[in-house]
Amino acid sequence: MAKAPPIAPMEQFLVHPIVRFAPIRIGGFTLDMSITNATLAMGLAALLICGFLAIAAKREIVPGRLQSAAESLFDLIDATLVGPIMGHAGRPYVPFVFSIFMVVLVMNMMGLVLAFGNLAHQAWTFTATAQLAVTATLAIVTFLTVVAIGFIKNGLGFFKLFMPSGLPWYMLLMVAPLEFLSFMIRPVTLAMRLFGNMIGGHVVMYMFASFVVGLGVFALQGGLAYLAFAGSGVSLALVVALTGLELIVAFLQAFVFAALATVYLNDVVNLGHGH
Amino acid sequence: MQSPASTATAGAAAPEGAAGGLPQFDLTTWPGQAAWFLIFFVIVLVLMARVFVPRIGGTIAAREDKITGDVAEARRMKEEADAQAAAAQADIAQARAQAMKLAADARARAQAEISAKLAEEEAKLAQTGAAAEARSAAAREAAMAHVGEIAGDAAAAIVQKLTGQAPSRAELASAGAA
Repeated sequence: MAKAPPIAPMEQFLVHPIVRFAPIRIGGFTLDMSITNATLAMGLAALLICGFLAIAAKREIVPGRLQSAAESLFDLIDATLVGPIMGHAGRPYVPFVFSIFMVVLVMNMMGLVLAFGNLAHQAWTFTATAQLAVTATLAIVTFLTVVAIGFIKNGLGFFKLFMPSGLPWYMLLMVAPLEFLSFMIRPVTLAMRLFGNMIGGHVVMYMFASFVVGLGVFALQGGLAYLAFAGSGVSLALVVALTGLELIVAFLQAFVFAALATVYLNDVVNLGHGH
Repeated sequence: MQSPASTATAGAAAPEGAAGGLPQFDLTTWPGQAAWFLIFFVIVLVLMARVFVPRIGGTIAAREDKITGDVAEARRMKEEADAQAAAAQADIAQARAQAMKLAADARARAQAEISAKLAEEEAKLAQTGAAAEARSAAAREAAMAHVGEIAGDAAAAIVQKLTGQAPSRAELASAGAA
């Protein structure tokens, strides 16, 4: 008699070392640089991005398919995001926003498209963006970049960001702390949004996928239990539909992260004119 | 199949992550993940800024330049062709006008020549006519002048026949005048 595997939806998010290095201790802080499945997935993502762009970014006036794909992705960030939001002042930040977009997009997509590798317990099928450590790091990088550029561009005028112009002083007393709070909460929302979307989608997909197997094994007992095949089939259909939905979410979350990074950069780059 | 428990025992790092709660909240894995992520992100960012974005952006800009340049070139060539067509049209009009003027001139000249010749011939004819008239008038006059003489001769001849003697000239003249 076949036996259904245990349902462990969180197992796919476990970080386990593949090549161990001795942890580095700096004061009371421990840095373990062991190569884990997360490291492997992130490295593969970086390799895919650079490899794809190295092959696709040709200088043909009439582009081929690969070049068209790369240029469409670039145009999505350059011409439809950074251009309209930041204007000409946004030019220097295109590489930063495009890097964020591509890194999040490829890490999201790898978690879905390469998920078949999960069945064979391949370490590189890990979804790096379903790790709060990774999304928080990217959010903090974005946040610190915004703060640094804010101070470089505006000096102490950076604090005007928290003081909307045209308000009387007694209103400023109330609004400025709120503006400051909403500014400081940005990295948290950035990190949690991406993390939540990724983990949620993967857990739901895992649950329905486990129903396919679980109900199928249950139905093999025969008799009335054969009815469970119907539930198994419905679950399979849902997994297929959810995969499509998650592909959209994977793309959308990458775009949302890039769009918010652009909006936050615009706040400090075009501080004082038109906002 | 590798279970969470076996992973936890194999990896000394995170027993509590597998035991309960989300594995993502196991803070012992955070520094390593963050550091590796930063390393890969910086690699991607540097390559983007140095290689890929200039290359893709440059290609797109070059394409736009080429398209606008080609459109401007085509517009310029069209204008040139239009101007040439207009010039050719003007040339044709001018040539036609010249040809018409030439034809009109030739016609006028021929007309003038014809009328001059006509006038000359007419004058010549008139002259000949007048001369002939004058000649005939002179002849008639001469004939008329001889009529009296002839009549006198005839009368003298008749008178001689009848009377046997020739009348005198004075008698003849007075008879003729009567």
